[in-house]
Amino acid sequence: MEHGLLRRSMATFGLAAALTLGGATLAAAQTTLRIFTGGQQRPDVMRQIVDVYMKNNPNVKVDVEVGGATSEQQQQYLNTVLASKDSALDLVLIDVIRPAQWSAAQWAEPLDTYLGAEKDAVMARYLPAYRAANIVGGKVIALPYFADAQFLYYRKDLLEKYGLQPPKTWDELKAAAQKIMAGENNPNLRGFETAGAPIEGTVCTYLVPMWGAGEDLTKDGKLNLAGDAAKKPFALWADLKAANVTPPNLAEIPTDRIRQNFQAGNLIFAMTWGYVWNRAQNDADSTVKGKVGVVPLPGFTADKQATCIGGWQVAVSAFSKNKAEAAKLARFLSSPDVSKMQAVLASHLPVFPAVYEDKDVLAANPWFAQALPVVQAARSRPVTPRYTEVSEIIRTNMNAFLAGTKAADAALADMNGRLGAIFR
Amino acid sequence: MSTIKHRLTPLERSERRLGFAMLAPAFLLLAAVVVYPIADLIRASFTFLHLAQPWMGNPFVGFDNYAKALGDERFLEAVWHTVLYVIVTVPGAVVVGLGLALLANKPFTIKWPVRLGLLLPWALPLVFSGLIFRWFFEYNQGIANAILRGLGFAPLNWLTDPTLAFLTICLAIIWKASSFVALVLLAGLQTIPKSYYEAAEVDGASAWQQFREITLPMLRPAIFVALIFRTITAIQTFDIPYAMTNGGPGNATETLAMYIHKTTVDFLDIGYGSALAVLMFIVSAVITSGYLRYTRRDPGRH
Repeated sequence: MEHGLLRRSMATFGLAAALTLGGATLAAAQTTLRIFTGGQQRPDVMRQIVDVYMKNNPNVKVDVEVGGATSEQQQQYLNTVLASKDSALDLVLIDVIRPAQWSAAQWAEPLDTYLGAEKDAVMARYLPAYRAANIVGGKVIALPYFADAQFLYYRKDLLEKYGLQPPKTWDELKAAAQKIMAGENNPNLRGFETAGAPIEGTVCTYLVPMWGAGEDLTKDGKLNLAGDAAKKPFALWADLKAANVTPPNLAEIPTDRIRQNFQAGNLIFAMTWGYVWNRAQNDADSTVKGKVGVVPLPGFTADKQATCIGGWQVAVSAFSKNKAEAAKLARFLSSPDVSKMQAVLASHLPVFPAVYEDKDVLAANPWFAQALPVVQAARSRPVTPRYTEVSEIIRTNMNAFLAGTKAADAALADMNGRLGAIFR
Repeated sequence: MSTIKHRLTPLERSERRLGFAMLAPAFLLLAAVVVYPIADLIRASFTFLHLAQPWMGNPFVGFDNYAKALGDERFLEAVWHTVLYVIVTVPGAVVVGLGLALLANKPFTIKWPVRLGLLLPWALPLVFSGLIFRWFFEYNQGIANAILRGLGFAPLNWLTDPTLAFLTICLAIIWKASSFVALVLLAGLQTIPKSYYEAAEVDGASAWQQFREITLPMLRPAIFVALIFRTITAIQTFDIPYAMTNGGPGNATETLAMYIHKTTVDFLDIGYGSALAVLMFIVSAVITSGYLRYTRRDPGRH
């Protein structure tokens, strides 16, 4: 009896001691990592993903910091943090257009040494476009988190009602939109929207039709705005505006407003990104659940469809104090498992070809079956360390043109002059 | 005060030393947060410094950045927009602010709701007011277009038409700034002795005459203070157009401060941005000293 009590109290003491010691070592080894993401890249889903990571790595705590709704607003904040060499952020989610700029500014810790001998094997698994975008000057600047491209979203129910097929050309889109708008007679219903506010997405509003016309902004590193293809975007958007297919306020429409208008049932067609699918199907306030179709963007001819590549990458800050741990987390965030999680939870397009064929992924996003060739054919915005300036010149002129305050010739002349000074 | 010099006694000398010693921390703090940044800004404005191109280094380029500014259409447009904002919003805010101050100076039995109403716009953060006004004037969701539609008119492109965008921004700025002006003028109004008005009343002066002959002249110093503050902040206009239009459509509503922000924070072109900031600093300094000279030459003759 007495013996038993002694043994029990010994055991209790031992347990308490073990707990105390264990707690102490746990606290000592704890690393806190801070990752920055934009508000539009589904921070709620990222939190679910890092919860999985923390469960498997109890010595690591991950904080998710959320900022800036649009790409250029995020970069504005990051510019001030990183230009002052602040170590507060360990990892940053960056737009696919940024790796060149981040490499030049020396803000990203190259990941080559952390990948070690596996580097080539790891990089070979990604979609080629993302492998190319994240390797700058032979160094791995960031790892792909999710892929993206612009698609044409359409109202399946309305197209069926009027016996229409999803359009393959801009002319078909215009005709379909006009027919439905005339038939519905709903003053809130608009034909088509794309980004028109002075934001990053508006760069694609210019480039997609230019690519569709067979040219690119630069040719052999030189500016290529002299030909007819450079005028095509202006002609296309002016035509849709004159036909009342685009709304009169297109110049104040940023990316996420397109989704809101589409979800509210006020849009027939929308040129926007992958994330909209999940929101339109699942958001409580969506009025278009089960009425949405997604196809590749139209072209000037049915065989020449172009789209803008998007997507987000995980970079390790060059000023982080926990680079090794951060690189480990970056590899996890860029793994097939996480790609699948994002595809199911947020309709984020996978960065691995195989994930497009996953059963669960296809169940959540039936249209992913046709999305892979679109992502593979999607084109990149110009790659330059001075991308923020290039982007600003294009989007400001496009915005002024869409607002009707600047003629196409004047906008083109301004772009020529200012972009010419950068692409010398 | 006599200005006759005399030898300082030891006591006075030690007092003077103590005085300097006690002022030193304030001087040092000012040097650290005002003098040093301005000096560094001026230094940077004579160099090439572009953080997106760190391999270019930080070479001295003389007056290149200033020469570039004078040939930069975007800069000249931004200056012109800023001048327009000053011309419209400074007198606008002073007139509206004067009206508000006169109203608030009425003998209300309960004064605090009136004062609170005056203070609120001033207490709101600038970006906040900008966002509120943007929501008012948004094409689809805005209340302005809802009213127009309700009255049977076509909705207007308030924020994407250059003239309308400029006017709505001015409206937001005047709304925001007039409350500060009203506070300054209200303080001025309270210093005017009631007996002046009583005397005028006895002499049979009308309300308008009282306002012109008593209120306005007595308020001159306060109006000048309000004008100086308002002009300086108008030259630095940033938050409200940033939140309402982000300078758009195109760059039709972009102010000088916004262009400087874009050049430095977005483009990371610190050298050129510094030169633009120095130019803005000079403009501010010239205008302020002009005001000060005018007030000193003419210290309320009435």
